[in-house]
Amino acid sequence: MGKAIVVTSGKGGVGKTTTTANLGTALALSGAKVCLLDLDIGLRNLDVILGLDNRIIYDIVDVAKGRAKLHQALIKDKRFEDKLFLLPAAQNADKSALAPEEVQKIVAELKPDFDYVLLDCPAGIEQGFVNAVAGADQAIVVSTPEISAVRDADRVIGLLEKQSLSEAPQLIINRIRTHMMNDGQAMDIDEITRHLSIKLLGIVFDDDQVISTSNKGEPIVLDEHNPAAQGYRNIARRLQGETVPLMNLESFEKQGFFSRLKNWFGKK
Amino acid sequence: MQSVVLKGHQDGYVINLKADAKFVDILRELTELFEQLQQDKKMDSEPLSFNITTGMRLLDATEKQKIEEIVSRYPLFSIHKITSEVMRVQDALEMIESKSIHLNANTIRNGQVEHVKGDVLFIGNLHQGGMLRATGNVFLLGRCEGIVHAGYPSNAEAIIVGNVHAAQQVRIADAVAIVAQEQVADDEGTVVYVNDLHVLDYTKHTEVKTIRPKLFARMGGY
Repeated sequence: MGKAIVVTSGKGGVGKTTTTANLGTALALSGAKVCLLDLDIGLRNLDVILGLDNRIIYDIVDVAKGRAKLHQALIKDKRFEDKLFLLPAAQNADKSALAPEEVQKIVAELKPDFDYVLLDCPAGIEQGFVNAVAGADQAIVVSTPEISAVRDADRVIGLLEKQSLSEAPQLIINRIRTHMMNDGQAMDIDEITRHLSIKLLGIVFDDDQVISTSNKGEPIVLDEHNPAAQGYRNIARRLQGETVPLMNLESFEKQGFFSRLKNWFGKK
Repeated sequence: MQSVVLKGHQDGYVINLKADAKFVDILRELTELFEQLQQDKKMDSEPLSFNITTGMRLLDATEKQKIEEIVSRYPLFSIHKITSEVMRVQDALEMIESKSIHLNANTIRNGQVEHVKGDVLFIGNLHQGGMLRATGNVFLLGRCEGIVHAGYPSNAEAIIVGNVHAAQQVRIADAVAIVAQEQVADDEGTVVYVNDLHVLDYTKHTEVKTIRPKLFARMGGY
């Protein structure tokens, strides 16, 4: 029996969809069977980031309304031999097209066949959020080291705690700019974790390649040397119960002459 | 057996309605009593007010109304108040709740409102955007970065004690202050209260005796 995990944040643009895609891919790479659910109905993106947008025939609303069977709507990612599947969102409907019970039903149908069901939650705390959380056993809250994102994460954690999920929400701090954090210009990891007072699941460094690979429909985790990819891979390992130390901000920065040089130019 | 007994006290007349009597008997005897009093009273026309006690019986609203109805037939008489030796469990619990200090160790997150009846000793975390709201006083030991509201909705006698330096707002009854605009010391001994001009003011905990003597006595100070 698999585990359903919702990836949420409250605020938009912090990297929920990117996290869902990369975490799903990392879990699939490690051998787990993963299904990704895009619940951002009307503004679907997850399929694009995975490069599966041209293969959508049926979507989650079709399944919920009985117009298609679940297995007809699932899209298999051929790169990962039966390990990674996507249930895409509808594009020509809105968030109210789904009811929480319908999402619960779909997730319940998926859980026996998959190790992980990841639900990509839309931004906001309205119907779309309610739908996504209804189907989940566990929640991952994504935030960036910005006060507005942390504030919204706080709000969302408050709502999640009221939902009585079987496990407490965990935190991913995304898009960390090491030089800003080391200079004390951005909120640091300890500060954010202490403020939100939930368990830190992992950190992901900001990297230009995340955007360029997304544009090509290839999740960044496929490049195992990329620091952002390492962050996602570590998170996947922690989700599977391994103990992996947190990536170090300073050592990452001192990692090589070129990255230091890049940072140095970046600051100017 | 008599169900209604009229007694004279130092502070006026008391009508005792026997708790073990039938209510219909009480109504009947009460009518008789007033009828008689009316006749005796004709000479002087000074109006009389009665306290009614019901002993171990609790009258409900319709029963009280029936009694008031009887009395209202006699313009010379009126009821001052109806009292009882007993109260409903729910009312008792509410009274306890509003009179005691509640220990609260919650994390109040952005968008959440923690409502407390009575006084609260807060040892949790109040995040930005969260609100701690009490009908009584608020004593803060925890980290406080949100909105603290004491004396909700209209008790201007309530005070806030503790470090509110990092709070967004402090409110007492209908008075609001934005903490960043005030010079509030980073001090655990700060007391926020509503002063004589109905404006929020700040002082030290040593001044509670002067500004709120009743509260100070209740807390056991001397």
